[in-house]
Parts: sequence; C-alpha cells; structure tokens
Amino acid sequence: MTQQRMTSGGRIDRSRTIRFSFDGKSLVGHPGDTLASALLANGVSLVARSFKYHRPRGVFSAGVDEPSALVTILRGDVREPNLPATQVEIFDGMVAESQNRFPSLEFDVGALNGLAGGILSAGFYYKTFMGPVFGPLKGTRFWMACEWFIRRAAGLGRAGHGKDPERYEKMNAFCDVLVVGSGPAGLTAAKAAADAGKRVILAEQDPVPGGSALWSGETIDGIAASEWARLSVDALSALETVQILPRTGVWGYYDSNTLAALERVSDHKQSSAPGEPRHRHWVIRAQKVVLATGALERPIVFPGNDRPGVMLAGAAERYVNEYGVAPGERIAIFTNNDSAYRAAAALHRAGKRVAAIIDVRREVSSAALALVKDMRAEHIPGHAVVSTSGGKRLSGISIRRYEISSGDVSGPLRTIDVDCLAVSGGWSPAIHLASQAGGHARWDERLQAFLPPSPMQGWIGAGAFTGAFTTQEAIIEGAAAGAAAAGAKASRRKPPQAESADLDVTPAPVFEIRAPGKAFVDLQHDVTAEDVRLAHREGYVSVEHLKRYTTLGMATDQGKGSNVPGLAIMAAAAGKSIPETGTTRFRPPFTPVSLGSLAAERHGDLRPERLTPMHDWHVERGARMLAAGLWFRPQIYAQPGETLEQAYIREAAAVRSGVGIVDVSTLGKIAVQGPDAAAFLDRVYTSMFSTLPVGKARYGLMLREDGLAMDDGTTWRLGEHEFLMTTTTANAGKVMQHLEYLLDVAWPDLRVHLTSVTDQWAGAAVAGPKSRDVLAACVEGTAVDNATLPFMGIVRGEIGGLPVMICRLSFSGELAYEVYCGAGHGQHVWDALMAAGAAHDIVPYGLEALGTLRIEKGHVTGSEIDGRTTARDLHLDWMLSKKKPFVGSAMMDREGLVAPDRLQLVGIMSLDGRAVSNGAHIVGTEPTPDDPNGSIGHVTANCFSPALGKYVGLALVQGGKSRLGNRAWVSDPLRSRFGPVEIVSHHMVDPEGTRMHG
Amino acid sequence: MAEPISPLADAYRPGSHGNVARGVGVSIFETSPGSIIEVSAWRGGEHALVAAITEATGLALSAEPNSGAVSGQRSGFGVAPGRFLLVDQAEGLGQVLLSALPIDLGTVTDLSHGRTAIGIEGEKVEWVLAKFFALDFSTAAFPVESGRATVHHDVLAQIQRTGAKRFDLYVFRSFARSFWTALCHGAEEVGCEVR
Repeated sequence: MTQQRMTSGGRIDRSRTIRFSFDGKSLVGHPGDTLASALLANGVSLVARSFKYHRPRGVFSAGVDEPSALVTILRGDVREPNLPATQVEIFDGMVAESQNRFPSLEFDVGALNGLAGGILSAGFYYKTFMGPVFGPLKGTRFWMACEWFIRRAAGLGRAGHGKDPERYEKMNAFCDVLVVGSGPAGLTAAKAAADAGKRVILAEQDPVPGGSALWSGETIDGIAASEWARLSVDALSALETVQILPRTGVWGYYDSNTLAALERVSDHKQSSAPGEPRHRHWVIRAQKVVLATGALERPIVFPGNDRPGVMLAGAAERYVNEYGVAPGERIAIFTNNDSAYRAAAALHRAGKRVAAIIDVRREVSSAALALVKDMRAEHIPGHAVVSTSGGKRLSGISIRRYEISSGDVSGPLRTIDVDCLAVSGGWSPAIHLASQAGGHARWDERLQAFLPPSPMQGWIGAGAFTGAFTTQEAIIEGAAAGAAAAGAKASRRKPPQAESADLDVTPAPVFEIRAPGKAFVDLQHDVTAEDVRLAHREGYVSVEHLKRYTTLGMATDQGKGSNVPGLAIMAAAAGKSIPETGTTRFRPPFTPVSLGSLAAERHGDLRPERLTPMHDWHVERGARMLAAGLWFRPQIYAQPGETLEQAYIREAAAVRSGVGIVDVSTLGKIAVQGPDAAAFLDRVYTSMFSTLPVGKARYGLMLREDGLAMDDGTTWRLGEHEFLMTTTTANAGKVMQHLEYLLDVAWPDLRVHLTSVTDQWAGAAVAGPKSRDVLAACVEGTAVDNATLPFMGIVRGEIGGLPVMICRLSFSGELAYEVYCGAGHGQHVWDALMAAGAAHDIVPYGLEALGTLRIEKGHVTGSEIDGRTTARDLHLDWMLSKKKPFVGSAMMDREGLVAPDRLQLVGIMSLDGRAVSNGAHIVGTEPTPDDPNGSIGHVTANCFSPALGKYVGLALVQGGKSRLGNRAWVSDPLRSRFGPVEIVSHHMVDPEGTRMHG
Repeated sequence: MAEPISPLADAYRPGSHGNVARGVGVSIFETSPGSIIEVSAWRGGEHALVAAITEATGLALSAEPNSGAVSGQRSGFGVAPGRFLLVDQAEGLGQVLLSALPIDLGTVTDLSHGRTAIGIEGEKVEWVLAKFFALDFSTAAFPVESGRATVHHDVLAQIQRTGAKRFDLYVFRSFARSFWTALCHGAEEVGCEVR
C-alpha cells in the first residue's frame, strides 16, 4: 500500500489522528476524512466485491452516488451493512468491514461467478423459474434447487441480529424558505431569502456546507471558493432566522411542500452525547423551496470500467482538493466534456503525473487546451478507452481511435500504464426531488441531460440543478431563486464574482464505448451494457420494464450514475432518441433512510400505554395485565400456584357468594349536555331516554344506520340537560365519532355538546350479595338501601370524604354497584372500598372473571355485537321502541335482518366435560375431523362456570331459540376439538334476575 | 379531603436528566391545577359566551380561533370552534362557571381529573416540543397566550403558550404517564430538569 495523503490541502485536520480498522487492519486518518478518503489515503484500492460476479471494486465516486465501495460498520453487536464508504465519516475506534466475500476480500471464491457471466446475464433470476429440466427438477423446482446457491452467492452486506440500542427521533420544522443544497447556488439563495427577512432552513447532506465550492479549486470574490463558502456559512449562522442543517439529506418531496430529510446526528461520533439521537427524521413544511441540489457526474461505459482505480473525474478532483488525497500516482483522464480537464489540473497541481487525457471529441475548447498545456499532459483527442488491465488494481488502459458519429473504434491499440483513470461522461442535474414533486423531466440535447420539470409545487431551482453548470451562473441563479422564494425583488448589488476557467459545459453525446469485454452500466447490480441490449432483444421496450428485468438502477444507489447511460444504450438499441425512450419518475427516498428514524420515538415502544387510576395497585397485587386496545386491564389476580382458570373461577365464585370489586375505569364515558340532549339520545338509542328521570340510569342499545347493532351501555341522567353515556371500552372512540358525525352532519340544529370524560372518572364495580353491605360501611351522605338506591338508581355521596357517584347496575347478574369518583381520587376510593369489604372477604377480580359472570348471565359484549348481529339476534328486541324513530330503525326490519334462520344468541353447555373454544363451529350432527358437517353457528365466548359447575359458552346459532334443548356439537378442526354440547337459553344463571334486583 | 393522586407515579423523577453538561435546556413539571374546565358555546353564540367567561373569570378571551388569555393563576384558550379550556390553579372554577353561564349560552364540563397538566419551559422548549407535534412553535406563529389542539400519535394534547419560553400541555390522564415519559426522553438531548 502506498500512502496517498498529500502534505497539504483539503479541509482535513492533519494535527489530529483518527485510528480505525478495515477488515481487521489498523489504519489512520484525520478529522474530516470519509472512510473512502481515508482508505485511499492509506493506499487501499480494493474495497469491495461486486453484487453478482464478485469482481474487485474500489472507490468510484466521492458522494451519495457511490455504487461500489459499500461497507459494513460495526458498533458492538450492531452491524450496519451497505453503507457507501464515501458517506461514512471516520471516528476513533471505528470498525469497518468489506462485504459479500468469502473467505476474504483478497481471495473471494465467489469470483468464480465471473466465469459464468453468460449464464448469469439479465433475467437469469426469472429464467430459472421456467426450467430447464434436469432429471426430476422441472420448472420452479429447478429454481428451488438453485435458490440456495444464488442466495449465498449474490448479495450485499449481512445484517446482524443485535438489538440496535440507538435512539432515533422525529422533528417537525416550519420555514418560509427551505434551501436544499449548500453549494454556491444554495448559499446565495439562503442569503437572499434571509436578507428578505424570511425564516430559512438550509439543508446540506454533507458534513460541511459549501458543496462544489469546497473542491472546485476556483476563487470567488478573490478568495478561494472554499473560504468564501466558509465565510458565507458563518454569516448565515449568525442570523437567528437561518437554521443550517449539516449531515441532513433531503430525501422526499411530498404534497403541500412537505419534505422529508434525514439528519445523521451522531454517526460520525465514537459515542453519542446523553440523550442525543443517532438519526433525526425531519418533516419540513416550507412555504417555498429552493432546489440547489447540484449535479451528479456520469461515467462512460467501456470494458473494464469497474476495475479499482477507475473513478469519476469529479471524484478524483474532490479527493485532491477537499481531502488532500491523491487517487493515484500516474493518472489518465477519459472524458467527453471539459469538466475533466479541471480535475486533471487539480491532480497536476497536487504533484501527480497526469499521463494522458483521452477525449472522444476531436475538438475541445481553448480553455481546456490551455489547462492541458499548463500540466504538460499528453492530449489524445478522438480516442476512447477500450479496455483496462490489472488485477485488483488498475495497471493500465488501452485506447483506440474513436468516431463519435458512428461509435466505431478503429486503428491500432495503444496501451498506457496508469494506476488511476478519471472518467467523465458529463453531468446529470440532481432532479430527483423535483421529479418527486411532480412533472416530467425534460431532455436537453445541448447538455445531454435531463433537466427538472416545470414546477408543480412551490419550488424554484438554481445552479447545476437547472443545468447552470458554471459557478458564476449558480451564484446568480441562487440569489435570484432565494429572492423569488422570499417574494422579494432580486438584489441590485453585484453578485459574488467567480473566477474559473471558461470551460465548455456541453458534453459529446457519448455514453458507451462498444468493444469486447464486460462494460458495466450499473456497477452496484453488475448490470452490463450487453444485459441492456439482451433485454431489448427479449422484447422489453419500456424503460420501466427494462429496469425491472435487468435490475438496472434498483440498487441502494438507485442508479444515480447508471440511469442515463442505461437509457442511452437502450435508446440506441431501439433506434430511438433518449427522450423518445423516456425516463422513470424518481421516487423517495433520494438516499437510503434508516427505518429507526421513521419509527422515531416509537422504536422499541410501538404504542403508548393507557392506564387506569388504579393501575399500579393492580400490578402491585400481582395482577396479570392484559392489553385491551391501548388500555391495560387486570386479567386475573393469581394466587401462588394458581392457573389462569383456577384464578378466574375463584374470583367469579367469590362474587357469586360474597363480594368482588373490578376496575371499570376503562369504560367509555361521554358527557352529553345541552337543551336537546334527551332528544338526541332518543334518536341515537333504540329506546326512550327523554322519559328517564334525573338520578336514574337506563341500559341503551345503538344501531348503525343499516340496522345492525353497534354498541351498548348505560346512560345516566345527571341533570335536566346532562347525561353521562357509557360505552364499551373498545368502542368508546367509534361511538364518539358516530355521535359527533350525527350532530355535525345530520342534526346540526340540535343544541348538544359531547365531551369525552372517560378519563375524568375512575370507576369500580362492586358486585355480589354482600356489595350493599360494603357500600353501607363506607358511603357517607346517602343511604344505599333498596328504597334509596333501587336498580338503575343513582345517588351522590362521599367515601373517605371524597365525592362519589354510585349507580346500581349489574353486568355480572349480581346485586352490584358502579362507584364513580374523580380519577385523581380513584385509588383513595378503591382503598376505602377494599377496606370496607375486608370484613366480607372482598375479592378483586379481573377480566376473566368479569367475562365468566356475564357469560353465565347471558349479557352481551363486542363478541356478540360483532357488526353482523341485530337487536333481535341478541334478544334485545324489547329495546326497540315503537314510539319513535331512531338511527337504524328504518333499515332494521329488512327481510334479511328478520329471517328466522339468522344466527341468534344461545347458551351452550359442554356435555363432555371439556372446554369449548371461541370461534369453534357449532354443527347439528356429530362431526368427524375431516367433515365439519355443516356449520350452524359459532361460539362467541366460553368459560368454566363455577355457578353451574361445567364448561359453558355463548354462541350464535341458526334459529337460536328454536334449538333450545337440542344437542349439537362443537367442531374446531384447527384445534382438533370435537364434542357434544347442549343448546340452552343464554340466561344460564338467575334468568329471573332475582339476584340482580334483590 | 385527600389530595388527588398524580398519574405519573414512578415516571416522575425529579432532578437533572440527559445532556445537562452545557446547562438545562428545558424544565418539565406537573402544574396540578385545581380546575380544568371545558366550556362550549352554541353555534353562533361564541361571542356571547366569551363575554360571559370574561366577566366571570377576568380572562380576556376572544372568540377567534386559537386565541387565549392568561391572567394570574387563571388561563384559557380555544381548543375547537366555540370551545375553550379554562384553567385555574385553585379549585372551584367549575362552580363559578356553572353559576355564570346559563345553558342557553353553552355547557360547562369539568375535566379537572380527566386531564393532566404539564408545564415545560426553557430556551430549548420549541425544539423539544417540535419533536412531538407538527406545529410551528415559533413566537410569530404561536404567540404567547394562544393555544392549539393537536395530537401526538394517539395522545390528544391541548397546548397553550403561557410565556415566551413556556408552554402548558393538557393530555388525557390515562395517557399522561406514557406521554410524560416520552417528553422527558425527548428533552434529554438538550438537558432536562424535572421539578
């Protein structure tokens, strides 16, 4: 390895050394280095193996367009694969690995794939699906045989299994003007917008703002362009109205000028500061956007163009000027345009030998010739590189005479010894964000490039993005765009003056040199020019199909350097022009985005927890908590050694024999207030509520407009104009939306307000024959006897000096009360109830016991109100008022909803002493495992009933009541459960209601 | 009478958290007001209701969207068309409003237990809140005393700017612990003091 670090130049800090490793080898770099520049500085040319053929690859570019030098970075157990070395900033202790090689980068057995190039051509993947036939392996079976090998032979880096401990965040930002890109155009745009008093965000994907000014080697206003950029950034940073975001790649342009960006906050650090995220996902809402995203250099496609040592000319220039690294000792330039001459001059200034400049053009500008003269390089116009030589590092190139008009190569082969070939095939404006924003890119014949579409959103372009490739043009356009974005007039002051060679920005229309050998269009996916032509021969005429068939442009670099050459080759094969062949529309993301940043604070915690006021008490008492939507509710309070079934049976039995208490704070609660509140409830419930006296509650059922049951619950009349509606826990939000819709759209004339008060109240249901005794022992300010507090009555009083509201109602079928208090007092009141209940051995019970009690009683929940049942199916037809219309009343009597063979609610009792499962079919005759024998319904709920001493359930069965007393069978093939049951009334315990009304 | 119990429980960890080496970027605290009341006007009656509120509470509210007022221990702001959240550090504001506002003007709903009030203040307050809400927290877009109703994922949040560098947030009590935890977590980057 030859050290290529120059003794001066660039923006790296040579006073400090950074130690890192690559494939276990210790290397050094400096602050400011990317992994790519540091590897080059250490003389490392072989960095990666290619995707399919495992060909040796080196650093090809210097930016986000890097197709070859992909590496894996390791932090502890966390592996992050497929990172372009050009985008990785080194830090002390960094561990980097090459990827897609075995056993090592130097000696990779996968390179044997290169010998099978003919077989592994475009569409190989798809063709294996179709055969051929090898003995018993036919069609897709052949593919299945190949798959194992293909999966291991082709690919990129390997993800790890370690949990990512890093923090990711989301950030919302608003600004008047978002400037994307901080080159000369972006900086002048930001300044112009800021001068107009606008709030500006300047986003730069690289660590240091300045863009091309950092490496162009030009001067602006008489000072080095890099220094001018630094001063410009300093001036902008001093303004409160300007926010500069380095390391922030804007990757998505969405509707209404909403843009997405990824800030790499701490990737460049050895360790994050406390609380510092690794990545931050920005959602930026901008009044106007200035797109100053520059341009990406294109390669020329020629045989051997992927060998380590071949790189883009602009990248070579950037390594020299920005990082103080020479990409080689003896360098050749191969170009179709003038920009590579500037790169050659930079390499020459760095003291490197520019051996030759090979240009496909016969005539070049005088400015370019002047540069050649200065560097005393051999200028070889009208020629092209037709092959390269060397093993894992370029050692030479071969050139021949080239004719642009025909694309023919001719004449003698000449070999030139070089260790670096800097290539330029022209420049493509980075129009990705503009394309995402809408519109079709426009082909510019002069620049041989796609230019941005006409804006369909509020953006303005500037600089190389628009095809204005000179620095002076960029400065002028940037200032104009910034002022326009700010709604201000362009400044009359003289713009900063760039001094640069008067180079010709128009390239010759040459994208490929056709000569024997593998010539790669898409280096990352190993797509060759011949693959593109093969796709054409096989009938792929659409560029979209070409892309999918060959995978051109579908790698992590998204074809930033390969799309246009690929399109040009396709166009040539089809005998069409490039605009006739078309281009694809760019989609987000422009650059890869970490999934962690999109998940942001939900990374590792996918949803917030919703907790009742008594949550901690439940947990401290060993309750097993169950997620119910976002809520957490006690499932059981298991005693040591108890199974779930044993626990709920004990709890439910305790309620039937004594008293139990359950947290019902999760029930949806809606304050319905206003002069028309009663009339409103008459319309939304099936039964009458306007006749409900103050201080009483009533059970209510809501239907959907189609007549099917929607939700149920009790509603309490707290005042003349005030009701407290309760809903099921699961449907609280849905009911609220339904009611708000009706008020806003159907009955805007009603004076009714709805407010969610679910969280205002803590609720505890005290149930069981001893429940009244418990309340009597702790409630003050009111009696709770049957006369004062009858069934569905409401009283107000105090428990422990805290105000409570008590309604006597029952879900369990027992004498029961719901005690409501302010949520902040919930635990106090719960404690008081537990203390008062201690004398009666009060038992807290969870959802399982709650379910058991209601199943025994035959009360319905969402399992039965499942969106397919009617009030009649559930035997709630007694609640369907005939005195008034209500939501659903017009549709509930449709023929299909009153058919006698509808599924209706029944109870079932297991006859074989075994549990039945929810969802199991009910069949009329004894089933066999292979023949379910005609389902007549299904089980909706099941439990072991301590009151009945057997396994029971609720079910929806055809004909329902007509089958009471019949024997049927459960058929549950999934769980291999078959067995006899008796169909009974859904009121399995206390059908007369004497316990509840006692 | 026993004091209401905060829903934050162990999530409330007073002291300094996160990157405080360069100072405290924000302070976060529970404000525990005695009264949080929602008052809602009938359609077309917003101005009359606002006038009655002002007379009853001394808060110079406006019927304009997002407007608000702060006066001593009381504050109020619009949370929806014709709807206002009124807050008093003292208890009893609900009764005051019930007495002052006949049903023909609107309705009064006590949410003192149902909402948890969280204060956040400091130089980095806008930065921290922007992590959670798609709102422009700049003073120009979100002036002192004004308010907004928004959501953080599933959590409804009503927010009032009560100072140049202070906001008061009102979230559902049941979500408060999760939200508080997330807020403190997000604030650690700038140095956070819980008090």
